[in-house]
Amino acid sequence: MSETDSKYKIGDAVIVANDNPTGNPRTPRYIRGKRGVIGLVHGILENVRDHRGIHNPLYTVRFDLSELAPCHDTDTIWVDVHEEWLSRATRDS
Amino acid sequence: MSGKHGHKPFEGHMHDYLAHVRAVEEDLEYYRAKRFEPRIFYLLRRNVVTFYDLLKVGSTLRKKDHFFKIAKPQGKNIEARVRHLEEWLDEYVKGIALVSARTVEGMDMVTEDNRKERGDYDDFFKIKKKEHQGTLDERMVNLQQDLTDYTELLEVFVQALIRRGWATREELAQRWQQLHDERPWAGGVIVAKAWTDPEFKRALLDTGREALREMGVHQGKVGKLVVVENTEQTHNVVVCTLCSCYPYDILGDTPWWYKHESYRANIVQNPRACIKDMFQLEIPSDKELRVWDSTSDVRYFVLPQRPAGTEGMPEQELAKLVTVDSLIGAGYALEPSQLREREAAHVEPEMPRLRPD
Repeated sequence: MSETDSKYKIGDAVIVANDNPTGNPRTPRYIRGKRGVIGLVHGILENVRDHRGIHNPLYTVRFDLSELAPCHDTDTIWVDVHEEWLSRATRDS
Repeated sequence: MSGKHGHKPFEGHMHDYLAHVRAVEEDLEYYRAKRFEPRIFYLLRRNVVTFYDLLKVGSTLRKKDHFFKIAKPQGKNIEARVRHLEEWLDEYVKGIALVSARTVEGMDMVTEDNRKERGDYDDFFKIKKKEHQGTLDERMVNLQQDLTDYTELLEVFVQALIRRGWATREELAQRWQQLHDERPWAGGVIVAKAWTDPEFKRALLDTGREALREMGVHQGKVGKLVVVENTEQTHNVVVCTLCSCYPYDILGDTPWWYKHESYRANIVQNPRACIKDMFQLEIPSDKELRVWDSTSDVRYFVLPQRPAGTEGMPEQELAKLVTVDSLIGAGYALEPSQLREREAAHVEPEMPRLRPD
C-alpha cells in the first residue's frame, strides 16, 4: 500500500470522467460526469483474490447528494474511485 | 420486539416465519444466479466442464455415490421446517464455495471474473431471479423443490469436476470438512471494545484491520477495512451499488437485503426515505447522513453509537446490544430495554455465520 504515489490529496476538487472504456469497471454510473471532493486517499491497494494485476491509486470521493439526485437533503455520498477516472476540477468545470 | 425504533421487517426472528422464509428465498436466488450459475458458464466457456459431462454424470450417478447428503427435518412443525430450509440453504452455499476457483486446481478465477460473467457491469449477462408468491406454506413447498433441483445440479457439477480430473473426491471431502469449521461472530465484541477502550477505538478508526489483528480477531484478505463512526452529528450507512461488497471476513454472512437490488438502488437515490421505508429508521434532520458506496478494494462497516443507559455495563453485555443492521447503518445498537424485551420473547440473538477462508 502506498499513498505517496497518489496524484490527489484530501480536499481536492475532482470530476469523474463520463466515459472511460479502459478504466476500472467499478465506477458506478450515477457519479459519472459529476463533481466531488477527495475524502480519503487509499493509495495503491493489492487485492489478489479480487482481481488480477494492480489497479491505479484509489480514492474515496465525497459527493453532495444534491449533485447526484433530485433530492433536497444536504447529505453526502462517498464513493470509491480509481485515479484514471478522475481529473482536477477547475472553477468553470 | 417493538422498541423505540419500531419493528424491523428485514430482520429475521424465528417468531416471524415469513421473514425467515423470505430471507431463504432471496439468498437462494442470489447464490444461484450470482455465484453458482455464472461460475458454471465461465467454466463451460473454457472447457473445464461441458454440458455433456453434466448430462453423463446426471444419467449415471447413483444415490449412494452422492457427495452431498441432505439431512431430514427435525420435526413436522413449522419452526423445524423453516430451520431445515435454512440449514439446507447453508449446505448449498458451502457447496458453491467447495467448487469455487480457489479450491479446485486449474481454475484460475478471481472474483472480478465472476462479476463480469454475472452481469454486474452489463445487464445482458444477468441471470434472472425467480419471484416468489403464494401462502407461507406454498412458498415453503416451492423452496423445498428449488433446493432439491439446485442441489442436484451442484451434485452433478461436483461429480463432473471429479470425473474430469480437476479435483479428487478426497481433496473435496477434506475441503468440505474445513468449510464446516465456522468461527464465532466478532461484530459485537469489536464494537463493545471500541465503546469502552478509547485507545482501541482510535486505532480501529485509523488503521482498521491492523487494530483487529492486534485484538486477535481473525480476518481474511478482502481488501482494506475502513470503519466509520456514528456520532451526534453524523449517521453513516454502507452499500455496494455495483454488487455486494461487504467485510464478510469480519462480519460474517451478508444480510440478504444488503445484496438486494432495491436497497442498492434506493439508498443512493434517496437515502433518508430508503432507510425509513426499509428499516423504519428516521435519521434526525439535524444529522448529516453519509452513504458509503464500497468497491471491492475497500470494505466499510459502521461503528454505531453507544446507547444511553449503558454506563458501567461490562463489555460482554454491551456486545449483545450490537446488531448486524447497526454495523451497516440500517439500525441503531439496541437499548438495554430492547435487549430485555428480545430475551423475554426468546428471540434468537443475531450471529451471522463467519465462514473459513
